[in-house]
Amino acid sequence: MRALRDPLIRAWAWLIALSAASTALAVAVSQGLLSGRGVTLGGAAILILAWAKANVILSRYLGLAQAPFWHRGFRIVLGLYAVLLLGLYLIA
Amino acid sequence: MSETGTDDFSPLDQLPGDLMMWVLIVSELLVFGAGLAAFLGVRITDPAGFAASQDLLHRTAAGVNTLVLVTSGFLAALAVRSAEAGRIGATRVRLAAASALGLVFLVIKGLEYLEKARHGIGIETDSFFTFYYLLTGFHAAHVIAGIVILGLVGIRCAPRTVEVGAAFWHMVDLVWVLLFPVIYLLR
Repeated sequence: MRALRDPLIRAWAWLIALSAASTALAVAVSQGLLSGRGVTLGGAAILILAWAKANVILSRYLGLAQAPFWHRGFRIVLGLYAVLLLGLYLIA
Repeated sequence: MSETGTDDFSPLDQLPGDLMMWVLIVSELLVFGAGLAAFLGVRITDPAGFAASQDLLHRTAAGVNTLVLVTSGFLAALAVRSAEAGRIGATRVRLAAASALGLVFLVIKGLEYLEKARHGIGIETDSFFTFYYLLTGFHAAHVIAGIVILGLVGIRCAPRTVEVGAAFWHMVDLVWVLLFPVIYLLR
């Protein structure tokens, strides 16, 4: 558990967990474990997980956690972009 | 410094790494971002057709590729840390490991393309596959460029160059974590 105190290792562990969660959700949808509104909610959850992964990469891998001004800017733009993708997904 | 001796703080001073690399990262994100938004925009016209084509993709292989790429990014970030500590040997090993995982990504992607070709699926099969080949192909080209860059910064090993090379690699990683769910997973 000491290793998880390292922000880089923690970031990597988060990315693995979030990626596994996205894939598990997608497999559940494709195998018919979710239906109707569940499929749409699953898709929305997959997009939210992608947004979370992108934030981890920006803050820890690219080091924006140490640049609050830029971190905030990137988070806002990425958040707006995620909302755009979510909107396009939900319209279909 | 200003004439009064106080710091003229510029937000640009906060930005980690090289400014030009950030300009490149933002421009690449804009290009891929527009491509993914266009993909979802065209999907509105034929959601059933897009879902049927998406079923022909190998989600598990793409999921494995995501794990490969984020682990490769982790190794590149560790390489920056070793470069800053002046540990040239460890830096080169980590850069080489990151590049090797980049090659694994390309092999899996190549097998995926090969399988599609065997089934007669190409860029002109339908709108879904046009976007699929353009976006994943353009991304794969960036992976190749990233491997070359990691190799070059491994040869000219200095903290600044390693940081810039790793930043490019993280951009490739960042694009993939957005591209993967939109193309492979969203139903």
